[in-house]
Amino acid sequence: MRNVTNVEITSLTRKFGRTQAVAGVDLRAGPGVFGLLGPNGAGKTSLLRMMATVLPPSSGRLCLLGRDPGGYGPRQEIRRRLGYLPQALGYYPGFTVAEFVEYFALLKEMPAPRVPAAVAAAVERVDLSGQAKVRLRALSGGMLRRVGIAQAIVNEPELLLLDEPTAGLDPEQRVQFRSLLRSVGQRATVVVSTHLVEDVATACTEVALMDQGKIVFHGTPDELIARGVGHGTGDAPLERGYSAVLAAARS
Amino acid sequence: MTAADAPALSRPSPPARRPGLATGRLLWLELRHNAMLWMIPVAVALFWLITYRKSMAMPPLWYVRAVNMQTGAVLDFAVPVVAAAAWMGSRDGRRHITDLVAVAARPRWARQLATWAATTGWAMLAYLGCVALLYGVTARQAAWGGPLWWPAAVAGASIPAFSALGFAAGWLFPGRFTTPVAAIAAFFVLALTTQPIEGSQSYWQVSPVVAHPWDLGADPGVATFYHYVPDLSLAQVMFVAGLTLATLGALGLPAGSGGRWLRRSAAAISAAGLLAAGTGVALTGTGRLDAQGMITIPALHDAASDRPVRYTPVCHQDPVPVCLNPAYTIYLPAVAAALGPVLSQVAGLPGAPVRVSQAAASYHQGTGNDVGVTMAGPALSGRPPVFRLLLPGQLPSPALTVSELAAWVRSDYGPEIVASVVGAGPGGRASPAQQAVAEALDAAAGDRLARGSEGPSPRHVRASAPCGPCVVTGLPEPPGPGTPVFAAARRFAAWPAAARHAWLVTHWAALRAGRITLAQLP
Repeated sequence: MRNVTNVEITSLTRKFGRTQAVAGVDLRAGPGVFGLLGPNGAGKTSLLRMMATVLPPSSGRLCLLGRDPGGYGPRQEIRRRLGYLPQALGYYPGFTVAEFVEYFALLKEMPAPRVPAAVAAAVERVDLSGQAKVRLRALSGGMLRRVGIAQAIVNEPELLLLDEPTAGLDPEQRVQFRSLLRSVGQRATVVVSTHLVEDVATACTEVALMDQGKIVFHGTPDELIARGVGHGTGDAPLERGYSAVLAAARS
Repeated sequence: MTAADAPALSRPSPPARRPGLATGRLLWLELRHNAMLWMIPVAVALFWLITYRKSMAMPPLWYVRAVNMQTGAVLDFAVPVVAAAAWMGSRDGRRHITDLVAVAARPRWARQLATWAATTGWAMLAYLGCVALLYGVTARQAAWGGPLWWPAAVAGASIPAFSALGFAAGWLFPGRFTTPVAAIAAFFVLALTTQPIEGSQSYWQVSPVVAHPWDLGADPGVATFYHYVPDLSLAQVMFVAGLTLATLGALGLPAGSGGRWLRRSAAAISAAGLLAAGTGVALTGTGRLDAQGMITIPALHDAASDRPVRYTPVCHQDPVPVCLNPAYTIYLPAVAAALGPVLSQVAGLPGAPVRVSQAAASYHQGTGNDVGVTMAGPALSGRPPVFRLLLPGQLPSPALTVSELAAWVRSDYGPEIVASVVGAGPGGRASPAQQAVAEALDAAAGDRLARGSEGPSPRHVRASAPCGPCVVTGLPEPPGPGTPVFAAARRFAAWPAAARHAWLVTHWAALRAGRITLAQLP
């Protein structure tokens, strides 16, 4: 399993008009938790959206789960095995937690007989079993985020893409979430885009740092920490590595 | 949110997909959370206030009641259905959930169809409930005939079209204002489609709110004596069904809606829909008003529907049988009571009608939207003679009560029955003696003369009353008080009924031939 490359990106670019959001990214990732760090506007979300097959790349090559998402058939197959949590999670307020997760399980074309058990399991994994029948409009922002995570993992994805997943979660929930990430990362590729370096430090096996549409660092969290020794600014070792790499890239 | 306590993750076994079950479950979720559920009370309330109450105020004739499903119920449902569908169509955009649903493996078109189907399903359920209510009550009230399904079918077929159009509008413009704008637009478009109609060959008659020749209205004489001609209904169903297919197919055309096969299917469906809708419009343009008051389309017309409906009339026997189409049974007592006094005056006279029978009206297209309604053939015909009449075009309704109907029949046909017996004289003009006898018999039957100059005669009433299927007979103006004819009429009316009857039996031929003078009247 560890030798499988679920994400293979070569010279990937994405332009929005004259703005180059992603500028020639190369990336390979296998099973494990992959952290994507970077300042606002670095291109993390655009990269994640391309990996989620929401956005077609302007150029470059994208290979997900061994398939090229450019073709309809392979794209559908990727989508069946994909979990995605967008940065801004929309939801249907009238749906209950279970219904919302079930809805997306059905959209992911999960075999219908397996859906009820998968929904129950996903809801339980995000600790919302007690709220399974509560309408989404009655939930707090943090709970809604957990519902979003539940819909992303309901199909037991082989590629899980999470854009700012811990935004709105309380500290206890974030700890539990990291545990969940590690669990999922044992067999699947989890790409987490985040601003919170402690998430990366505790959950990620690999980390990439993006700035101005490019990956300016790719390595393990320990390697990023090492870059910051004696150079960067910040309270935590990883923050110092983060700032040191960014400063070096911009200089 | 725990990893340790959660069920162990394992790869799914090779997917044994049961698309039907998954689609059914998806549809169920859409049904449970559909905006149309909230609009059903609105649609039903509109139906109750606008269509049902109006229908119940109309005579219990199947045609009159059924066409309200098109002229009323279509509008009642169009606005709520378009609003609900637009709301559902714009849901993903409004809820900022487009990214999330975009990565779903299930084709977008299939998902859209599920949402549309749920919206349409609720709307159809509510509509069918309204049909059941209106038709059920009418079935209990109607004296004759069976349910007329075509108008209900046209209205029913238009609901998926409204739903598809509203859904497409919502999907294309996913904003909060799309719903009210689409609903208002639907109302005005439907209302305005009837404005350009001119004559029975108008393409605009394809609008589902048109159930009959425009400006003729729901004439009760239609589809009672002859079968309902479904030509226009067929073209309308073709049009709205085509519109539904074209719109739904168009939703599947954009990239991202589905695979190549799915998009090709959507294109084929859309093309077929456009073809059907265009054919419906083109066929409607070839329609023409037939003599039975319905629109016939040559390419769709079945000659069998031109045959008269066989029925056994219901009759009131005394003194001369008055017979009506059984659909009008509830009006028989009133009509018989209205004509009874006149008929008793002429009963037994040579040439007097042995029966009064309701006739079918004949319709012909005038200029523009004018529709002429007449009775084919003379009022008195056959041997022994039968007097044929048309009931007023506007049967008891908010504008005409049963007693008004009776008064109308009496004033319209009483003098005509008398005139048909006494004779209008050579050249169509009644001689003074004929006028005097006619006035005397009318007076004896309880009408005017006695009122003298105090009120108008039935003939005057007829000339001023709202007229439905009027029969132009050229009755002479009644004599004014103080004239010789007036005096002779009063004198003749004062005679005992038996003596008057005996005199008429003796002198009928001469009177009818115009050879009797005023002086010769007793």
